[in-house]
Amino acid sequence: MPEPDFPTYFAITEQELDLDALLGRITLPSTGAACLFTGKVRAVTRRGEAHDTAYLEYEAYQPMAEAKMRQVAEEIRSRWPSVEGIAIVQRIGRLDPGTPTVLIACTAAHRDTGVFEAARYGIDRLKEIVPVWKKEVGPDGQAWVEGHYLPDEFD
Amino acid sequence: MAGKAAMWSMNKITVLFFATLKERAGVSSIELVLPPQARVQDLKADLRQRFPGLEASLASVLVAINREFAFDEDVIPAQAEVALFPPVSGG
Repeated sequence: MPEPDFPTYFAITEQELDLDALLGRITLPSTGAACLFTGKVRAVTRRGEAHDTAYLEYEAYQPMAEAKMRQVAEEIRSRWPSVEGIAIVQRIGRLDPGTPTVLIACTAAHRDTGVFEAARYGIDRLKEIVPVWKKEVGPDGQAWVEGHYLPDEFD
Repeated sequence: MAGKAAMWSMNKITVLFFATLKERAGVSSIELVLPPQARVQDLKADLRQRFPGLEASLASVLVAINREFAFDEDVIPAQAEVALFPPVSGG
């Protein structure tokens, strides 16, 4: 059970992500270290089948996505008890290249007790279990991006 | 007979489709009545008949019952919200 003043913020939103404001929500007087990951829409993809992207469209099963974000935050707290603030935000709708699509941020008193690892874990885990899907729209048409993770009963 | 009808009507569920499944089904949600003790695999068989276009998706589909991941052997409770979707691709 986290201390009552350790904030956990999670959301699915159509609004532009304000990374500074989101970090501000989880910054405490005790915060000395903050690790923030944000994903952005690539205009040009070189890994795998190289292609250009005009925009992405994101869709979410919102009530379950929120529940799974809460679970990701709980998993982070359980593995890195020194993490104080946690923010997990996924944007949905039509997103153009260069736009931030997702934020995972963790704060802690110091940098050496796992705050980097916690943020890394958060994005990797979101991509496994949070019910959100993206569709690529490009010059040659559109296609849903295929996920690869198959959850089990512990997920 | 009235008792049996009452039991069937209690097994009405809502099925939600997302992403490729929504496109292939052509709808975002349906309501349907299942036999008592129907399992996820029974629902998939039902949906295969109702939506032949879903066949390709059903092999790798993920299922959630009341916002928790569910699997073929799981019994679907009455009034459940069941969601079918591809492996997730958020972030």
